[in-house]
Amino acid sequence: MTPAREAVYLPVMALTVALLGGLRIGGPAVLHAPSLFALVLGLLLMGVLIQSGALAPDRLLSESRPALANVNGFVVLLALFLACAQTFAALTPDSGLPRILFSVYFLILMLNTLAARPDRVRVLQSLTVTFGAAFVLNFVVLDALSDPEGGRLKRVLQVLLEGITLGALSQPVRHPATGYITFVAIVLFLIMLSSLPRRLPRTSRGLIVLQPADQNHRQLPH
Amino acid sequence: MRETVVRVSGLAITLAYAVLIGWLYARQPTTIAEVTGGLSAAMGAYRVDQQALEDGLRFFRRDQFSEARAAFARADPGQQDALTQFYIAYSYYRQGWGRLYQDDELYRKGIEAIDRAIALAPGGRIVVDDPTLRIHTADELRVELDSGTRRDASDLNPLRIFRERK
Repeated sequence: MTPAREAVYLPVMALTVALLGGLRIGGPAVLHAPSLFALVLGLLLMGVLIQSGALAPDRLLSESRPALANVNGFVVLLALFLACAQTFAALTPDSGLPRILFSVYFLILMLNTLAARPDRVRVLQSLTVTFGAAFVLNFVVLDALSDPEGGRLKRVLQVLLEGITLGALSQPVRHPATGYITFVAIVLFLIMLSSLPRRLPRTSRGLIVLQPADQNHRQLPH
Repeated sequence: MRETVVRVSGLAITLAYAVLIGWLYARQPTTIAEVTGGLSAAMGAYRVDQQALEDGLRFFRRDQFSEARAAFARADPGQQDALTQFYIAYSYYRQGWGRLYQDDELYRKGIEAIDRAIALAPGGRIVVDDPTLRIHTADELRVELDSGTRRDASDLNPLRIFRERK
């Protein structure tokens, strides 16, 4: 990993995600700090990244590195944690039943991923699918269900849905720009995750110790 | 050597960016004007538009409060000047004041403005030497606005109709 990537690109990308993830455009634009639960989810995601090898903290912080490099590494880890938390906060609906369901879903997903111990590629693929699906559900489906504009049939369906769910499904109406900004934040976050310093294959006496992913393929990595 | 330069520069950029984000979260500016105003105020480069402030005061003294606030907003787009915010709060007070009732919505906006003014003033102390006003300090104005939004037994006092607007 180049010093520029570690000292400039990764922290700036992570902080940008932390900024954009909290931005809600409305009458007045406001910035939402991540909730405590989002911080917990962020920490779990950091654990998943480390366990899968998508993030190798010893390549950012270790005794063998100079002090300045360690400071840069620490900043990357801190900014990454904020970005993780803010990404979950951005993808969780603002209120009602969907907020609870999304929160529980994210928690179970993180715990399940920790238990399954997937490799780096699978974790990144899984996160892409999960965050993409959460984005579609939150910013496309729920927004459409909560949008007061529309034809008579749509409003009748909304009233019926409100009645069935006791008003627990609809969300505060968001400015369309919020969805675009969150989309950019998520894409940036996924790019950042794939750019993190990954765990290198360990070598010992000229032999390569196989990682779980490589064992599945029953061949030495190239 | 080059690596050290890159690392130190990166650290400086990251810290500056983090401070900016922290400031945005703490201050919650709602417009670009507030962002630029806040940043220039932090660097000591913020200036109120004196002409617009004079216009606002002229409207204010003629009881044209909406016009006055439009001019004050032009004078202080970043909401960084305590005096201008004081006059904005005062305009909400005077416009919302009624002999029989107060406009709660205007009073609430007045409280927001006076709180901004107090937060901006050094030591939170604002004293305005303007003979056309009957309230000269931010603390008095804050109490006046706050008491206007409260509901209590004094609201039923028939002698209230004899009180005067300050």
